[in-house]
Amino acid sequence: MARSATSARGGPRERDETAAARDEESVADRSGPPALAVEGLTKRFGDGDDAVVAVDDVSLTVERGSVVGLLGPNGAGKTTLIKCALGIVIPDAGSVRVFGNDVRDGRRAAYADVDAMLEGARNDYWRLTVRENLRYFATISGVDPDSVAARHDRLLDRLDLADKADTPVRDLSRGMKQKVSLASVLAGGAELVFLDEPTLGLDVESARTLRAELRRLAAEEGLTIVVSSHDMTTIEAVCDRVVMLSNGRIVADDTVDALLGAAASDVVRVASPDLDAETVADLREAVEVVGVDRDARPPAVTVAAGGDRLYDLTDALRSAGVTVSDIRTVQPDLEEVFLERTGTAPGAVGDAGAAFGGESS
Amino acid sequence: MSGDEEPRPATYYHLARAVLYREFLIFVRYPANAIGGIVVSLFFFAALFLGGQLLAGQALADSIEGIVVGYFLWTLSVGAYSSVSNDIGSEVQWGTLERHITTPFGFAPVALLKGVAKVVRTFLTSAVILAVMLLATGTRLSLAPVTVVTVAGLSIVSVLGLGFAAGGVTVLYKRIGNWLNLLQFGFVALISAPVFDLPWTRVLPLAHGSAMLQRAMVDGIRLWEFPLADLALLVAVAVGYLFGGYLVFQLATGRARRLGVLGDY
Repeated sequence: MARSATSARGGPRERDETAAARDEESVADRSGPPALAVEGLTKRFGDGDDAVVAVDDVSLTVERGSVVGLLGPNGAGKTTLIKCALGIVIPDAGSVRVFGNDVRDGRRAAYADVDAMLEGARNDYWRLTVRENLRYFATISGVDPDSVAARHDRLLDRLDLADKADTPVRDLSRGMKQKVSLASVLAGGAELVFLDEPTLGLDVESARTLRAELRRLAAEEGLTIVVSSHDMTTIEAVCDRVVMLSNGRIVADDTVDALLGAAASDVVRVASPDLDAETVADLREAVEVVGVDRDARPPAVTVAAGGDRLYDLTDALRSAGVTVSDIRTVQPDLEEVFLERTGTAPGAVGDAGAAFGGESS
Repeated sequence: MSGDEEPRPATYYHLARAVLYREFLIFVRYPANAIGGIVVSLFFFAALFLGGQLLAGQALADSIEGIVVGYFLWTLSVGAYSSVSNDIGSEVQWGTLERHITTPFGFAPVALLKGVAKVVRTFLTSAVILAVMLLATGTRLSLAPVTVVTVAGLSIVSVLGLGFAAGGVTVLYKRIGNWLNLLQFGFVALISAPVFDLPWTRVLPLAHGSAMLQRAMVDGIRLWEFPLADLALLVAVAVGYLFGGYLVFQLATGRARRLGVLGDY
């Protein structure tokens, strides 16, 4: 029923090594049908004038072994897209195939290979111990729990849950509960895993551990992971590719590097104790000042200085008598790319979300 | 995972073991729930018995066997119904329901196994209640196990069906779920339905089974001594309501999937 997980290779690895392993694997795995193939998916909620199009003709392919981020403001259609792929929301049009099996027609065949950690859900039984949950959900996903006992031990080990294996989940901290939820999703050996806001509500340290684990699991277990998150750090750290959604449509779909590269900034930040109001006024005459930060220590200005304009900037600084403390190009992050593509901040509520309050994202 | 064995597919045996073992673990690990249920049931019975003695005196003493049997069946029905419908409600909240709906086994076998586990559990607690009632009232009843378990078991299978239907409605309309718990009091009417005066009431859940259970426990009639038609009707009502209830659950979850309310927390 469920696909067997590919073998893990040894202990902890550094990011570069895991990324390399993942690349190798994804190339090798591309022989079969893709992990996820979404064609023309459309889902409307409500009728008539009140109808909200949550997902609007979305097509998307996720290759095996890749880690894809879904980014979008609340109401952009991320969760609906995920639920359609899981078969718990039935789309109005379009198809979803998981490893070649149509989720609508051959549901049961598709279910063995896909599982999800949905936002806000416990996903497991708090009154059972960690290990009992793993065994139970492995069985429910169609895998004999005895045959994956060693795999479960390793999973608990990786997630730092080994010494809590026989503790009821209700007695664990929030961060640990989140990790048990992840472990129970992975327990059945699903090869395609959706994680909806996996780091939501976690403290900085727990979120960092979880991110590291996701990277490692993707590389070592050959999992295909689709992560939906508002948290750009998670997306940047974990994903090879980012799909940005806005109002139910895909507005960007590319690798993290390409998205950041396309938005390469020509903005330079100059910091100096000499940057008083008068000096800044002088600079404005010569160059394009896009921002002033008087509260910084020392004060700083950001200047559009792409290409040859950098020389104009240095000339202007010299003639204004500014001794530079620090000068650097401003690197755009995903958040800025996102803002540019969607016109909304990732945590904001989009149009569809505002109209359809019940939809969580 | 190089030293590990290959994952093997789970069979229905593994599924049954997992579902029943989970129910067993929760039963033994949280005995307070079961004990609480038993205490509340006995308290109600004490109020009924003592109050009845005060009001009806000898008349009650004559019909005490019937009351004990009826109350036994009522605790069984309430146990089976509320455990199934509340369970579905809780699983919706916990986000575990959809994991059972998206299982490669399909939801039906999982639900059926859960139902069996609930019925077994309910029999255990109701047996304790029955024993205490018999001791406290000094009543003697025929307790032929095969007959009692079969007749009472088939009677409450129809209630299990109602539990699934109520659970399905709860998936769609979360607030209605609590109101549906009031249905339990309606079971009293079904258990005491006048099946001799109004024969059509036999096709309602519990009514026919309740009449048969009275004959079995009060008059000592054995399972094989019942007319075949009575047994056939008992089975037909059980299967009919179970199937009907499951159908309502399927339709409700199907609608929830179209409306996108399944898995909304």
